[in-house]
Amino acid sequence: MLSFRTVKRLLPALLGVVFFLLMGAASLAALLRYSELHSWLGYLQQPYLWRVVRFSLWQALLSSSISLLIAIPVASCLIHRQFYGRSALLQLFSVSMVVPTIVAILGLVVVYGRTGWLNQLFGVQVPLYGLVGILLAHVFFNMPLAVRLLLQGYDLIPSGQWRQASQLGFSRWAAFRWIEWHYMKKVLPGAFVLIFMLCFSSFAVVLSLGGGPKYSTLEVAIYQALRFDFDLNKASFLALLQVSICTLFAVIVYRIAPVNRQDVSLLAVKSYIIKDSFWAKSADFLALFCAFVLVIPPFLAIFDPIFSPVFLNTLQSVALWSAVLVSLKIAVPAALVSLLLGVSFGVLARFCMARQYFAFLPSKIEHLGNMILMVPGLVIATGLFLTLRDFGWGLRSSYWIVVWVNAVMALPFVLRALMPVMYQQERRFRNIYLSLGIQSWARWRLEWPLIRSSVAQAFGYALLLSLGDMGVIALFGSQGLVSLPLYLFQLIGSYQLEEGACVAVVLISLCLILFYCSSRFIGGVMVRVKN
Amino acid sequence: MLKIDLQYDWESFHANYCVDISPGVTTLLGGSGEGKSTLLHLLGGFLAGRGELFFNEESLLSLPAYERPISTLFQSDNLFPQLTVWQNVAIGLSPSLSLNSEQKAKIQWALEKTQLVDKKDRYPQALSGGQAQRVAIARALVRKKPILLLDEPFSALDPALREEMLYLVNEVTLELGLTTLLVSHLPQEASLVGGRVILIEQGCITAHEPVSVLSQIEPHPLFSRYLGVV
Repeated sequence: MLSFRTVKRLLPALLGVVFFLLMGAASLAALLRYSELHSWLGYLQQPYLWRVVRFSLWQALLSSSISLLIAIPVASCLIHRQFYGRSALLQLFSVSMVVPTIVAILGLVVVYGRTGWLNQLFGVQVPLYGLVGILLAHVFFNMPLAVRLLLQGYDLIPSGQWRQASQLGFSRWAAFRWIEWHYMKKVLPGAFVLIFMLCFSSFAVVLSLGGGPKYSTLEVAIYQALRFDFDLNKASFLALLQVSICTLFAVIVYRIAPVNRQDVSLLAVKSYIIKDSFWAKSADFLALFCAFVLVIPPFLAIFDPIFSPVFLNTLQSVALWSAVLVSLKIAVPAALVSLLLGVSFGVLARFCMARQYFAFLPSKIEHLGNMILMVPGLVIATGLFLTLRDFGWGLRSSYWIVVWVNAVMALPFVLRALMPVMYQQERRFRNIYLSLGIQSWARWRLEWPLIRSSVAQAFGYALLLSLGDMGVIALFGSQGLVSLPLYLFQLIGSYQLEEGACVAVVLISLCLILFYCSSRFIGGVMVRVKN
Repeated sequence: MLKIDLQYDWESFHANYCVDISPGVTTLLGGSGEGKSTLLHLLGGFLAGRGELFFNEESLLSLPAYERPISTLFQSDNLFPQLTVWQNVAIGLSPSLSLNSEQKAKIQWALEKTQLVDKKDRYPQALSGGQAQRVAIARALVRKKPILLLDEPFSALDPALREEMLYLVNEVTLELGLTTLLVSHLPQEASLVGGRVILIEQGCITAHEPVSVLSQIEPHPLFSRYLGVV
């Protein structure tokens, strides 16, 4: 079945996955040790709890549906049309989902708030605090993510199909119906589950835009139980509830998802012209307009305070630059760990692919990595803290907990970016690699030019997510451990809004620079393969 | 009459095709990388070339792929794996798959001609290589475009099947009065389908002769190098 040499070759990957599992198990065990099961029945009878659950589900369902409904036509438009600013828009989409939540919230408030742009320019009042605000923020974050996920589905379409569509004179609608929709169906359930879970366990958005106990999610309730009551029992009950609901939902959606039929030909994508029409133009315009209106203004609003005199003063403060340093000290190691974990998962999953005894494993491995979305980061962090406290590490471990939890939280995104291309490489070239005996490093060297842009994307995501994290750091932040988002949060908390806006600009600039560096230096210049 | 005078440059490859092709089958011969497929992609409108391209006095060069009077059979990827055999043929007539009874009859005729009637509800994954290419031929039949381009569509088939397909192509070409261009790397294929042969070397057409030159005892001087006879 498996030779010793094969196992040895897979050892680093196996170690990565096993370590991930052990850490997860340890923190869950620690949490359960501190919980009193007999009191859980009482929680179940509280109407407050059920209101929170209902609202969590409802807003997540709305957010993910709206995001996908807008994303589908936008993705199709981006594939078919070349227009000025197209690649800039794509770049913006790739960062908008990892824009630090707290910064985006600031942007949304500047645009839609009581004294915001919308009210000043058009006199339109938006009830920002409540469901509308939560939806606006979630669509702002997740519609671009949905577009990028769908575009990955488009990558699966063999160029031969476009070639045929071009010669047969398909209209845009026919191309969508017969070609695009077929491939979109494969990524839609996954994208829906991902976005649903992100919204379901949304924390910072609901905390700051929920505007009261009426609009609270389970995640916020967990935070309150931990931070204000230090009630481990209640927190682990809520966490378990959250995990069960998310798991249930994931199982249902994966059940009804269509089977992923694999197509053999995967040639380098080359654009073929599809017949255009007035209706196609109008639909594209409408889709792009929606995308622009939802995504661009909050971005611009973030950069508004550059012209205020407070900006220069804030730039000179020591607290700001030590926060930058702390953020970097957390984000870079977290992103590296996340990437290592992602590669471990990827290598193991694709090794199992289409191998008799292991063929069922790849999807399981992928689910394992995504499972973190169902487990609130706050809970893992608390569990880990309790475990390490048992070893006598106490508060000294805070930094490492923050790094690890950030790395683990970014893992689903790393996997999303890495897996498709790793699978594709395996499918196309497994036999060649096998017959030539190319393994491990030799294989990585050969694959690197083809996968590096995906690796860069994965690393970039992980970097930005850790950089903008406002969950774990909110729980563990202390005197020496104040990251930029936490500093920003503190400034907003003490009503220093202008300084806060300046810190937001610094944070987002840092994000842009690091993301650019990641895609430039890891991703390199895209290699064009002759078709 | 198909009048070709096309130039195309890609990195260090410079092609200059100049030839007039009359109706019937014409086989394009030449080694790998000499520019046979490039010519077909230029004709199909999948690559943008410079120069002139006329079919029966109508200029094709500025037309997008879907407005050219051309059907193309590629080596692979001719079918949509998400559509059935019947749908794959029907989509050649109407991209929205809404057909009237006359068009449906036409599809039936094409499926009969290519012996696919009993396979019409299958998906391409369930077909053999030969059957898949017959579906593509059936689509070309219903489209009734006067020019048929074949880019080594049968090279993956075994010899007997390939022969059968070439007969089918020949029959269809004669019956519908098509101008058929067949890219091949096998001189025997040219002899089988008859008509004329064109030799392409380094992006240029170096010979355009009746197929009989291939079977002469004393080989044609231009073809001798390609055929490997000194």
